[in-house]
Amino acid sequence: MKTRYRASFVAVVTLVVAGPVLGLAASAFASTNTYTRTPYQTGRANAGTPNSTNVVKNSSGTVVSYGNSAITYTAPSPSLATLGQSLFLENCASCHGTAANGVPANGTSGAFPNLVGLGPATIDFWIESGRMPAADPRAVQANRRVPRLSHSQALAIAAWVNSLSPSYPDIPSPNLASANVSDGAALFALNCAACHTIEGDGDALAAGTFAPSLRNIPAYQVVEAIRTGPGNMPRFTGNLSDFQVADIVKYVTTEIQHPQNPGGFGLGGLGPVAEGFVGLLLGVGLLALVGFWVGERQ
Amino acid sequence: MSQIINTKRGRREQSGPYGKLGHALNELDDRMGVAKGGRTFLDKIFPDHWSFMLGEIALYSFVVLLATGIFLTLYYVPSQDLTTYTGSYLPLYGQKVTEAFASTVNLSFAVRAGLLMRQMHHWSCDIFIGAIVVHMGRVFFTGAFRKPRETNWVIGTTLLILAIVNGFLGYSLPDDLVSGTGIRIAYSIILSIPVVGSYVAFFLFGGNFPGTSILPRFFILHVLIIPLIILSLVGAHMVLLVRQKHTQFPGKGKTENNVVGTPMYPVFMAKTTGFMFVVAGATALLGAFAQINPIWQFGPYTASRISYAVQPDWYMGFLDGALRIFPAWSFHSFGYTIPLEVTIPAVIFPGILFNLVMAWPTIERKFTKDNEMHNLLDRPSNRPKRTSAGVAVAVLCSMLFIASSTDVIANFFHLSLNTVLWSMRILCIVMPVLAYPVTYKICREMQGFAGAGKRKTANIVTRTAEGEYVATPAPAYVDDLVHEHELEAVPVPTYVVDVDDEVSSGEGGVRRVPR
Ligand code: HEC
Ligand code: HEC
Ligand code: HEM
Repeated sequence: MKTRYRASFVAVVTLVVAGPVLGLAASAFASTNTYTRTPYQTGRANAGTPNSTNVVKNSSGTVVSYGNSAITYTAPSPSLATLGQSLFLENCASCHGTAANGVPANGTSGAFPNLVGLGPATIDFWIESGRMPAADPRAVQANRRVPRLSHSQALAIAAWVNSLSPSYPDIPSPNLASANVSDGAALFALNCAACHTIEGDGDALAAGTFAPSLRNIPAYQVVEAIRTGPGNMPRFTGNLSDFQVADIVKYVTTEIQHPQNPGGFGLGGLGPVAEGFVGLLLGVGLLALVGFWVGERQ
Repeated sequence: MSQIINTKRGRREQSGPYGKLGHALNELDDRMGVAKGGRTFLDKIFPDHWSFMLGEIALYSFVVLLATGIFLTLYYVPSQDLTTYTGSYLPLYGQKVTEAFASTVNLSFAVRAGLLMRQMHHWSCDIFIGAIVVHMGRVFFTGAFRKPRETNWVIGTTLLILAIVNGFLGYSLPDDLVSGTGIRIAYSIILSIPVVGSYVAFFLFGGNFPGTSILPRFFILHVLIIPLIILSLVGAHMVLLVRQKHTQFPGKGKTENNVVGTPMYPVFMAKTTGFMFVVAGATALLGAFAQINPIWQFGPYTASRISYAVQPDWYMGFLDGALRIFPAWSFHSFGYTIPLEVTIPAVIFPGILFNLVMAWPTIERKFTKDNEMHNLLDRPSNRPKRTSAGVAVAVLCSMLFIASSTDVIANFFHLSLNTVLWSMRILCIVMPVLAYPVTYKICREMQGFAGAGKRKTANIVTRTAEGEYVATPAPAYVDDLVHEHELEAVPVPTYVVDVDDEVSSGEGGVRRVPR
């Protein structure tokens, strides 16, 4: 009895001590930036949080940026927070509450998410994709629109919300120069096509929700979406490294947004419906007209 | 006394009135007696109403399919062995893909005219089956399937089924993400057949899905076995057609006992050959300018990957739609599961549908008790019951076809997927039921219409004493008036009475011959 107790105690202590050591060793290993291009690599390293040695801190010890040669995550400057707070009170507080905690002023109806602790990339994505301030707070899913606020205003609001309870991921900026489209294509088929379709056109999901088209999304917002998982989209962290995310983003911003269309006019994505119409109306229809011209009409 | 002059003209005169060709044919006739049959064939009369060209679209698209298909076989590798793609399309470079997929991508990018051939092959498949369906509609609604032509109706239906099956097989060959999903659905459908399903599926796939033998098997079926069956059935279709001669619409000089039209040679041959090139040309234009099935964008099939919004080619759409909207019923008892939500829409429904189509001539005869020979066609409005039944089935299939894009509709119109699903369920039942009485009414209405489907009568314009102009249609010809009982065979219109059953030829090469 006693010995067994002791054995499990030793095991727990070993784990508690060895865990962080192993973890540190792993992150140090990962930070060497030698990316082995196996598409299905998993691991907690490089998942959008500052766990590498590339972390840059300012004099007061706060993280300014981190990342690697594929994606650099930069924190919005804390000096913007005051401006951010006034912008937030002006544009967001009516719904998300003056403390950004999802509790609006008395009398406002609706359920609004708590924004505290979401991380700058989330705040930035929802503002810069035009989803926020919301057009219709009762809609099941906020639509992408022309952004109401500028890039620097979005950063300011992100800075303020982040100052309430610092969190990650920071604002990403991908470097696609050495990303691999082919791995990106394979990863896209594996992780994204089930919702966004293999051609990236998006489609309806459950009642009132849909996976949007990816044909017109800037690269850094694709990273933000992958790393933060907006709405019903899953959040991809440990199972995709920054290098793999960069591969996906390169595939999305090149082949999906500018598909190579050898063979004539692309009939708008996944074709069979469009192809059927063209085949029946243009093909059979026109040929029937020619038949009408050749044949007898009485 | 003829003097041989060594000039072109002299030589021509010397070789007789039909020249070298005539000489060769004479020699052939001396040995094989080709003249008699050849003459009959060249003299065969085609009543070339434009709607008879629809079947020819199908025939010539099949020719295009064969020609382009033979080209594709030269490059396609029917193997599911894995290889590393190292071709020119960068987004696939270095990926592990099957030989089948790699060879189809290479065929598209690395073979001169390969993509054009692939696209022409696929477009002509879409046109082929489309033309078959339209041709079938023509035969159905004009009653051309009645005695003595029931056999050809059955052959035609078999051709339609074979064409659909072969289209599906061909669509599966490139082994891309989209078509692989189609094969997986087919596998599940086979599994859903009660009792024998799993045995049949394992037999066909040589084991569990996906396995490595399904593509080689599909390939042999697609390029050899089914095309050969189609080819021989098309042959039988044509032989029966020539033997039984064409039907014709009632009209001046046309009776049950004669054929009015243009002879095979020279008039019809010119028309039909020209038409073949138009069909091939239109297919080539589509193949050159409209992209179809860009498999390189879909990537290779792997059982672990799936894309949303995957749809089959249009001719499979109605089956996909039925599968999508059928309620999730299944049977679990005695240690067995029968997934009725798959068995009913994907096995039982098409079974009933195609059997009904095959049996239609018999079914109709049961009702009309009409055992006469029919060489004159019906106007659809004169057969309101048949027309309405046909329209109802066509509407059902169209609704099911629309139901195969529930997700696309929901996304496009920003509707809930569930709303669309339920609307399609309701529409698939309501619309055919509505289509029958509405079509029936329209047919009856058209029968009563002076002039609908009849010879036009003059409008008599009179000026009244006040100076007002009044237009009144002259009364319809007596013999154009309605036949009240649709089950009664329509008698030959009286304006055809002066027909002599003798051979005669009229303007524009039109001839009239007895059957
Ligand atoms: C009209 C009300 C309204 C206003 C104004 C508004 N929001 Fe929202 N916000 C919502 C609603 C409703 C949701 C949930 C939407 C959804 O899930 O699609 C939401 C969601 C969010 C989310 C996503 C939260 C999560 O958990 O993923 C963020 C971030 C956000 N809002 C930020 C902002 C910011 C920043 C502003 C000001 C620029 C703002 N919102 C203004 C109503 C509003
Ligand atoms: C489970 C389904 C699902 C999967 C898997 C998925 N997404 Fe999404 N995605 C969504 C939904 C739903 C939204 C819309 C979120 C919202 O607006 O509320 C979305 C939004 C996005 C956006 C933002 C589009 C816009 O209009 O601003 C991008 C970019 C994106 N996804 C990329 C990806 C990528 C890349 C992957 C693969 C790594 C992926 N998604 C995987 C469902 C999914
Ligand atoms: C009954 C007529 C036929 C139909 C309906 C049909 C239909 C199709 C379709 C839809 C495809 C998919 C092509 C693509 O991915 O774009 C295909 C592929 C193919 N067909 Fe046919 N086909 C027919 C006859 C033939 C014949 C007679 C041959 C050869 C003798 C043939 C050879 C091929 C080959 C080799 C492929 C694979 C090449 C590729 O993937 O592009 N087909 N067929």
